[in-house]
Amino acid sequence: MDIWFIVSNTIVLACIYGTLAIGISITWSSLGLLNLSYGFIFAFAGYGAWLFAQHVSTWGPAVLAAGILSGALGGVIICAVGFIPIHDKPNFTIRGLIATLAINLIGTQFLLWWFGPRSKNLPEIFGNWSVSLSGAVFTADKVGNVATSVLILAVVLRWMQSSRRGLEIRAMMMNPHAASIVGIGVRRTSFYVMGITGGLAGLAAVLLSQTYYISPFGGLMPMIKGVSIALCGGLGSVRGAVIAAIVLGFNEALTGMSIGGRYVLVTQFVVIIVILLVRPRGIAGLLDKAREA
Amino acid sequence: MSLDSGIKWRNPLFVWGGKRDVEELPTIPFRSHQEVWEKTRQSRTKLNPVGRLRYYYKWPSHGGTMWNRLRYWPTRRRVLRMPGDYNAKTLRAEKTIVDKRPIWWMLGLLALAIAPLFTPGDLQNTLLTAGATFGIYSAISLCWMLIMGTAGVFSLATYAVIGTAAFVTALLAVKFAMPWWLLPPIGALVGLVFGGLIALPATRLDGFYYALLTLGLNELCRVYFVTSKEFGSANGGLYGARTYIPEDWSQLGQLLLAYYACFGLMLLALLLYRFVNGRRLGRILRMAPEKREAFAEATGVNFRQARVWVFLISSAALGFIGGFYTSNFGGVAFSIFNFDTVLLGLAMLVIGGVGRAEGAVVGTLIVVFFDQVLNTWGPARFMIIGLIMLLVVLYLRNGLFGIKAQFRAWRDKKKSERRSTRAEKGGEMLPEEATETQDKSVIYQRRHDKMTRDHLKTLVSPEIIEEHRHSLNGQHSEALERLLIYFRTRPQVEKYAIITVERFEGYRIVALSGHRGVAPRVVEDRIYSTPDEACHGVFMRRVQDLLES
Repeated sequence: MDIWFIVSNTIVLACIYGTLAIGISITWSSLGLLNLSYGFIFAFAGYGAWLFAQHVSTWGPAVLAAGILSGALGGVIICAVGFIPIHDKPNFTIRGLIATLAINLIGTQFLLWWFGPRSKNLPEIFGNWSVSLSGAVFTADKVGNVATSVLILAVVLRWMQSSRRGLEIRAMMMNPHAASIVGIGVRRTSFYVMGITGGLAGLAAVLLSQTYYISPFGGLMPMIKGVSIALCGGLGSVRGAVIAAIVLGFNEALTGMSIGGRYVLVTQFVVIIVILLVRPRGIAGLLDKAREA
Repeated sequence: MSLDSGIKWRNPLFVWGGKRDVEELPTIPFRSHQEVWEKTRQSRTKLNPVGRLRYYYKWPSHGGTMWNRLRYWPTRRRVLRMPGDYNAKTLRAEKTIVDKRPIWWMLGLLALAIAPLFTPGDLQNTLLTAGATFGIYSAISLCWMLIMGTAGVFSLATYAVIGTAAFVTALLAVKFAMPWWLLPPIGALVGLVFGGLIALPATRLDGFYYALLTLGLNELCRVYFVTSKEFGSANGGLYGARTYIPEDWSQLGQLLLAYYACFGLMLLALLLYRFVNGRRLGRILRMAPEKREAFAEATGVNFRQARVWVFLISSAALGFIGGFYTSNFGGVAFSIFNFDTVLLGLAMLVIGGVGRAEGAVVGTLIVVFFDQVLNTWGPARFMIIGLIMLLVVLYLRNGLFGIKAQFRAWRDKKKSERRSTRAEKGGEMLPEEATETQDKSVIYQRRHDKMTRDHLKTLVSPEIIEEHRHSLNGQHSEALERLLIYFRTRPQVEKYAIITVERFEGYRIVALSGHRGVAPRVVEDRIYSTPDEACHGVFMRRVQDLLES
């Protein structure tokens, strides 16, 4: 098996799953909501992009934008249904988690009922070219995936660093209680946060659809990977998520090469358990202070 | 108020021939001080009924049965909490059933036991199959409830354990032609090993972190079993194990056997739940709920060990159920590893209420009804289940069986809100003042004083003033007597006094300072010629002060 193929595959997947994981991390640390309905948002965004490609235009960037926007819409829907009614109720963490799982169940079954079980595929967004560099072949979708996800993540993180809204979100990540005292509305900010993280999930959905298909339950595996990375990196830490994405991607590549692809989840699970046994709050438990529920 | 109201006061001492006594004087009609009291006490707030109080039926009793208790035979445990007592008012002997849950349990289980007799003929097949599924799934829910409710570990790995046990036992049964009764014990062994593996991180992680960790476990098992050669990747599952249901029985007999076997499994799970949750392990873990672990640890409770124990016990039980699953259905499908299976299982727990056996059973009943009986509805039935789960989680604190407690909390809140709106204090103290006063009797003294003054104000009239001017001393009418008694009992501070400016010629009114060494204060320039006039002047000033207060 070509080593470059595996490494490049790993990098692509790590970028996509890392995007999801950063979304999960930001949601948790700013809102205290563990959003486990990413499976639904993912599929929702994929179907949104597919509808756009079917009925409006197949131009790559437009399809990508449609996916991101429908992902953001999905995030806002989940915020309105699952976060706003219970964010100030007792036992919110567990109830929020269960509520997002319920939304996931309803949403994916709705997509199954509406679109049927047959999977759809999106047009090729990045064209169909490839670059050969010292023996390694970089195809268009891989280069495009990595470049797009890194670019959009950089834009989002830059926006969070420099804008007023980003400042509000970061303040909520540091201390939600103090943020609400100085006039940062939890409800309003939650819509921004869920919109942005939903948009990131939509981006991941469109990018991943270049490799896999869009199906109602297709968001499950990316969600599991994203949650694993976020958990492993330490919930609430962007740096931890990046490190964990690299570690788990490396593990995936190594496992795929040495003992076979069907053991990827097994070794990943073992790696996560080992990391969590050493560090119960994830890799970034050292770097950042984890949010207390 | 005029002088000729027509009502006269007769001086009872007139017959003794006092110097300035008059036989009759005009006075005012009697006014009861009770009127002010009633008016102050009466509430002007509209009262809304907010539900009734707790009501217990009082069963008759007598001396002989007062101390009778029905107990489970070898133990001292009571079947029903039904203390006897004497009614405090009537002194009648009576018994109260404080906890009716055992009765409901017995009735429910009885209903489930005789339910097959009452199934309509055309639905018999569907309903009995659904009943068998309900038995298995409620056993699963009960074991999961032990992990989630009792141990407080939010594990999503339950169906991974069951599925693994079911697949392993199915494989063994197919390969080695094992009898059906060996499968559940083997499954329990598999479950114990699997549970031991995934219990490792449970010692370090808590709450939802564990949920995130085990989120992928089902998918892991699914991928592993689907792609492996031994477990039959082609036909969607592994079938062919021998079941306990004899082939030569009629279809109805087979269905009934399956139904009662699964019912028995549920009873076993209930027993396990009772013995883990209601005894030492459960007690230890109730001592260490979430966010209070540090306290439990400080008092010497090893809750981590207890958690792992509960986890292992329920994993073994889940494995047992997995083995039973294989010997019931003759095999197992890959769909047991679906994420939706986990979500449906979670819905069973959440709808009923986490931490209660009845919650697990009733939640399972609801979900299995939608899932199995309405199975022609396709994806819509999952959407309905998801919707119920969502609504329950959004609006109920702890599922259907938490409604009672939640309603009572809400009613108490409303009651106290209403009570605070209708608490109309007389304004005798500012709220901050009232809360900061150490001696609370001051508040009540002031309130009483205010009510007294309100009453006395109604007594002030020209007749009374005229009476006082006429006779300072001696017997007075009732109204004037009340006024004078009140005036005389005022404290020394700002109390009026008369000083002599010149003997028999000049008197004036002063106000006492109330403090030793501080001279009285002159309150007016007027000089009265006789002590009686000055005395009446003091009375008039006091009346004025009373009316102004």
